[in-house]
Amino acid sequence: MLASVVAITLIGTVMVFSSTRGNDPDSVNTTTLQRHVVFVATGLTVMSLVAMFDYRRFRDFALIAYGGVCLLLMAVISPLGTEVNGSQAWFQLGPFQLQPSEFTKITVILVLASLGAQFAGDIDLRRLGVMLGVAALPLTFIMLQPDPGTAMVIVAIVMGILLVSGVRAKHIAALTLFGLTALVGVLNSGLLEDYQKDRLTVFLNPSAGLQAEAYNLNQSKIAIGSGGVLGKGLFEGTQTQLDIVPEQHTDFIFTAVGEELGFVGAATLLLLFGILCWRIWRIAQLSRDQLGMLLSVGVLSMIVFQLFQNAGMTMGIMPITGIPLPLVSHGGSSTIALFAGLGLVQNVHMRRFA
Amino acid sequence: MTAAESPRVRLGVLAIVMVGLFAALFARLWYLQVLSSESFEQAADANRIRVVQVEAPRGRILDASGRLIVDNRVSIVVTVDRVLFAQLDDTEATDMLRRLAEEASRYGSPTTVEQLLDRVNDQRYSRYAPVPVAEDVTEELKIYLEEHADLFPSVAVERVAVRRYPYGNRAAHVIGYVGEINDTELDDRQDKPKNYIRGDQIGKTGVERIFEDDLRGTPGQTVFEVDASGRPVRILEDLSKPPIPGDDVWLTIDLSIQALAEDLLAQGLDIARARRPSGNNPQNEATGGAVVVLDPRNGNVIAMASYPTYDPADFVNGISSSRWAYLTDDANHFPINNRAIQGQYAPGSTFKLITGYAALASGLREANTPFVDKGTYTIDDCSGQCTFKNAGSKAYGTVDMSRSMTVSSDAYFYSIGADFWNNRGRLGEEALQESARLFGLNQETGVPLPSEQSGRIPTPEQRRRQYDANPGLFAERNWFTGDNVNMAIGQGDVALTPLQLANAYATFGNGGTRYAPNIATKVTRGRTETSVKRTVDARINGTIDMAPEIRSPLLDGLIGVTSRAGGTAYGTFLGFPLDSYPVAGKTGTAQVNGKADTAVFAAFGPASAPEYAVSVIMEESGFGGTAAAPLARKLFDVFAGVVPPPELQPGGALVYPEAATGSPTQEQLASAGSED
Repeated sequence: MLASVVAITLIGTVMVFSSTRGNDPDSVNTTTLQRHVVFVATGLTVMSLVAMFDYRRFRDFALIAYGGVCLLLMAVISPLGTEVNGSQAWFQLGPFQLQPSEFTKITVILVLASLGAQFAGDIDLRRLGVMLGVAALPLTFIMLQPDPGTAMVIVAIVMGILLVSGVRAKHIAALTLFGLTALVGVLNSGLLEDYQKDRLTVFLNPSAGLQAEAYNLNQSKIAIGSGGVLGKGLFEGTQTQLDIVPEQHTDFIFTAVGEELGFVGAATLLLLFGILCWRIWRIAQLSRDQLGMLLSVGVLSMIVFQLFQNAGMTMGIMPITGIPLPLVSHGGSSTIALFAGLGLVQNVHMRRFA
Repeated sequence: MTAAESPRVRLGVLAIVMVGLFAALFARLWYLQVLSSESFEQAADANRIRVVQVEAPRGRILDASGRLIVDNRVSIVVTVDRVLFAQLDDTEATDMLRRLAEEASRYGSPTTVEQLLDRVNDQRYSRYAPVPVAEDVTEELKIYLEEHADLFPSVAVERVAVRRYPYGNRAAHVIGYVGEINDTELDDRQDKPKNYIRGDQIGKTGVERIFEDDLRGTPGQTVFEVDASGRPVRILEDLSKPPIPGDDVWLTIDLSIQALAEDLLAQGLDIARARRPSGNNPQNEATGGAVVVLDPRNGNVIAMASYPTYDPADFVNGISSSRWAYLTDDANHFPINNRAIQGQYAPGSTFKLITGYAALASGLREANTPFVDKGTYTIDDCSGQCTFKNAGSKAYGTVDMSRSMTVSSDAYFYSIGADFWNNRGRLGEEALQESARLFGLNQETGVPLPSEQSGRIPTPEQRRRQYDANPGLFAERNWFTGDNVNMAIGQGDVALTPLQLANAYATFGNGGTRYAPNIATKVTRGRTETSVKRTVDARINGTIDMAPEIRSPLLDGLIGVTSRAGGTAYGTFLGFPLDSYPVAGKTGTAQVNGKADTAVFAAFGPASAPEYAVSVIMEESGFGGTAAAPLARKLFDVFAGVVPPPELQPGGALVYPEAATGSPTQEQLASAGSED
C-alpha cells in the first residue's frame, strides 16, 4: 500500500510542477512545486502520527473531533471564512488556506465507523436513523457553503460504511431512491447557484450550456485526447504548458497526466490507484475487528469516489465539481486529510493481530 | 445471513462496485486517447497556433530602358496592438490616446483622439496584426515613441513598404495605382496561391492591376504559439516563412518619350484653349486629350499620355475621399480615366484611310480615276439633306485618290460613301464597316490594360435592331445613302479610341500586320534583370491584304499631307527633313454637337519602314492640322534626330538641351497648320 501511495504522490508532484512551471523558458516557476512538497511532507508526518496510536483509542476522541469539526464548519460559513470560486469554504491562515470540509470527511469516517462497530452488524431503523443524523449535520453545513462536491464525497463515504456495517438491503435500496429524489429536488430548488447547476449538468451536453463550463470540459477532453497512446512528453503538452486548461494543477490535474504521459501514463496512474484500493480493501478484510474494517472501508470509499468523480469529470463522464484527485492534485487540506486517512488504514493494518 | 459472514459478503459487493467504476474510467480513457486521439490532436493545435500573414513588398515597374517608374519606399507607421489595448482600463486607454494624438500632432502628423479610436476599432484589420493608426510619420515621432514606450502601452512603430514614384506622376494612367483590397476582390481571389487578407494592397488599375499576379509578392507568415488568452508566447521559427518580394515588370514604355508626349499634350491643350475660335464656332474648351506612340514593327506601346492626369502617390496609405471625389468628377473631366483607351472620339478625316482602302480593295474606285471636287457633293435621287459640303466649302478641283487624301477632299470620299451604298447589292451593306474592322476598329485592341473601350462603327443591321427593340428611342429604322456619306469621312456615329487610331495607322504603315499592342516586354525575378520569369511576345490580331496597287496611292497621299503644298499638315512639317525621314500622316477635325471640334492627327514614320506610329486626339480644340499635328511634329523631331531628346530628371521634369529651342514655344506649336 505504501509503495503505491509513494508512486502516486511522486507522479502528482511532477504533474503539479509541469502544470505550474510557466511557459517562460528562461525562468521556471517553482513556487507551487515548493508549496506542494511542503504539503506532502506535512501529510506524511500526519500519516505517521495517526498510525502511531492504536486506532481503537480514536473511538474515544471521535465525538470530540466531530464536535470540533461542526464548530469549524459553522465558523467558516460565518464572516470568518473566505469565499473562493463562489464557495465559502476556507479560512485564510497567512499564506495557507484551511478547508475544514476536507477534515470533515475523516471525522465522518471516524464517527460512523465507531457507531457501526458499536451496533455490531445489528442495525434497525432507529440505529440507522442515528447514523444518518450524525452524517446529516456536517453535510448540511457543507451544502450551505455550498460545496456539492465534498457533500457528494461524504454521501459516498456514508453509503460505503452503511453497506458494510450491516444495514439491511431494503433500507439501502430505499436510501438510494431517496438520495436520487433529493438530488433532483436540490437541482430544481434554489439551493444551488446557477453556475453550480451548470457545472453539474454541462457534461451531458458539452456543446450547449454556459461558455466557461463547456470550455473547461472541451479543453480538458482535448488535452487528454490529444495525448494519444504515448503522450506528448513531460513538459511538452501544449494544452498544459500554455495554460489552456483552467485549474489544471488542482481539479484538472488528470488532464496534464493524460496529455503529457498519454494513455500509458494515465492508465499506469489508474492502475496504481487500483493497487492502492485493492490493498485497502484487503486491509479491511483482514482487520481484526469491525471498527478497523469500517475505518478502512470509509477511507476506501472516499478515495474511490474522488478518483472516479475527478478523473470522470475531466473525461466528460461525470459532472464538473471541485473535487481534487487524491494524492495528485495540489491542495493543502485535502492532501493532509488524505494522508491522515491513509494513516488510519495503516494503523488498522499494523494492529491486525493485536 | 449470519453476523460473521455478512461483512465478507458486503465487502465483496463493495469490491464489485469499485471494479465497475475502475472499468468505466479505463474504457473512457481508451476511447479518448486511443480511438479518437487524432481529432483531439488537431483541436489542440488549433488551440495553440496563430498564423499572422506578413505582406511582401510588391515588384517594381521599369520602363524599356530600365528606369524605375514604380518602386517601394519605407513608410513609418504607428500601430496599436488590439489585444494589449483591450487590456487597458478606460482611463488608461483615453489618456494614452490623448498623449499619442498630442505627440503625433507635435511631430508633424496632425491627429485627434477620435481618429485614432476609429482606426483602433476598425474591424477590417486582423486581430493579431497590429492596426495602423498613423502613416508616414516622422522619424522624430518614431524616436520619441520608442524612448517613451512605457507611456504608450500597446503602441508600436513599424516600417512598412509602400509605393514610391521616382518620376512623379509620369505614365500615371499606364501604371495605375494600388489600394486596399475590397470585399469583391477578396472573394475573387480566394483561390490564388498568393493568399490575400483584409488590409492587403492590390493593383486597382493599369499595369498594377493587369500584372497583379506578377507584382504581388508571396506573403510570408509568422506563426505564434499563443496562450489561453490569445497572447503570443513565442514565434515558431520552423513554421514561419519570410515574405518574398514580387516580380518586376518591364514596360514597353520609353519614359522620356512618355514624358515628352505628356508635356506636349498639356501645352498643346493650353494653346488650343487660348486660341480664339473662327466665326461662330464654340469656344475651345480643350478639356482633355490623349497621345499614343506605337512601334508598328511589333505593336509595343512606346508612350501613352492622357490629359488631365493624376498622381498615383495620392493613393499611398489610402486616398482621401475629397481627392477621390475630385478625380472622378465630371466638372474636372475625370482625371482618373485613361483617355487613350477609354476615350471614344469621332475620327473625322483620319477615317479616310479606311474609306480609301475599302474603295481600292473592293474595286469601287481606281486610284487614278479623276474626280472633280466642286466643294460640295449632292446625292442623286434624294430627298431631305442631300448636299454635303467640304470643310470651309473649299473646292479642290480635279483630284484622284492620292491627292484627295493629301488635301482631305471631303467630296471625293462622300462620293465613295454614296457609291458603296448604291452598290450594296454587289459589295454588301457593310463594305465600309468591314474595312474598319480590318483596321481594328469596333473591337478592343487587346492591349493588356483594364477597361479598354471598343469604339463604335454603326451598321444598317444594328440600326434596325436598335429601332425594333426600342421604337420610341430612335428616329430612324433605315440606313440611308447619307449615313454612308457621313461615315466615309469619319462622322456619323463612328467613334474610336486614340489607341485604336494609332494602331490602325501602324497596321497600314507596316504593310498590313495588325498587332495587339503590348505594354510590357518581360517579367523578371529577384530584382535582377537577367532572371527572366517570362517574356511578352508580339501578338498578331489580324492581317490586311495590301497589294502595292492598293497601298501605294494611299501611302503617297498620306506622305503628301506633310510634304506637298496643299497637304493639310504641310505647314506644320515645314523645315522637317522629310527627304531623309518621310512622315505619312492624316489630319482630322471631327464635329461634335454644340462643342468645338475634336482635333485629330495620326501619322507614322519613316514612311517606307515605320518605326513610330503616333495618334493625337484633343477634345474641343479646333482643327486637327492646327491643334493636333504640331504635337506629332514635335515628337517626330525627336524620332528623326532633328532635336536631341529632352533629358528626364528624377522627379519627372524634362530638361530640354541648350542647342534646341527649349520647351516647345507657343509660336512653334501654333505654327501654321492649314485647315482640315
